[in-house]
Amino acid sequence: MDQPIDCREAEARLQDYLKQELTPALAVEVRVHLDRCRRCFHHARFEENFLRMLEERARQEVCPGPVRDRILQALRREAERG
Amino acid sequence: MAEPTTASVRSFDDEALPHLDALYRVGLRLTGDPAQAEDLVQDTMLKAYRSWRQYRPGTNAKGWLLTILRNTFINDYRRRKLEPVAMDLEAVEPHSIVREMAESDPEGSFFSQIVDEKVLEAIDALPTEFREVLVLSDMEGMSYADIAEALQVPVGTVKSRLFRARRQLQGALYAHAVEMGYIRPRKA
Repeated sequence: MDQPIDCREAEARLQDYLKQELTPALAVEVRVHLDRCRRCFHHARFEENFLRMLEERARQEVCPGPVRDRILQALRREAERG
Repeated sequence: MAEPTTASVRSFDDEALPHLDALYRVGLRLTGDPAQAEDLVQDTMLKAYRSWRQYRPGTNAKGWLLTILRNTFINDYRRRKLEPVAMDLEAVEPHSIVREMAESDPEGSFFSQIVDEKVLEAIDALPTEFREVLVLSDMEGMSYADIAEALQVPVGTVKSRLFRARRQLQGALYAHAVEMGYIRPRKA
């Protein structure tokens, strides 16, 4: 195996790792580093909490009923116009 | 122009309509205004309906719709106003905010204490370039590749914008949390 990655490299890849956007090989390198480095392990939790917070906030906002109705009406008019 | 058939109308109802909430949310974040968001979503849905034949059933309808929404926004809605200026954290003080946050609250538990309204305000204060990638990726779950395609930029650009957008947002939320007394800053 190549040289293990350092903290700087791990931090640079951390968000992409958590978003599952790394290739399997790069993801393994990050995971190995997190297993060994307490500081980066904490930092991974930090990024994870941040990302989870954003996902949760997004789900709470919905399209208001009247807006939905107006959009559906516009679509119906469009369909009738054919 | 070919008209949608009965079958395709049905599939539009099944595949496109469930994403109305997501479209509205992204519309709100991009325009910053409920009335404009409504118009933007309506325009998006009408365009999507008219070009529904180009959509391949069973593929990523949400990504397809969000791409139309984003392009419609850029072409027809982008306000001629001064955009918030991107703060280049690296240039100002390399890593210092990240380090201070890490010292004060290593696992970022303060994030969950901040009220929705403040989180959205902080997102709305990001420059459009940063805001759109953050919203599409981290709030709506689009992949980097799909975002790159929607924005017509390389994946590397999406990655670097996301990295800076997240850092800037984290910094703003951290400052707010300190101000509200959710955390006490511990200077490095």
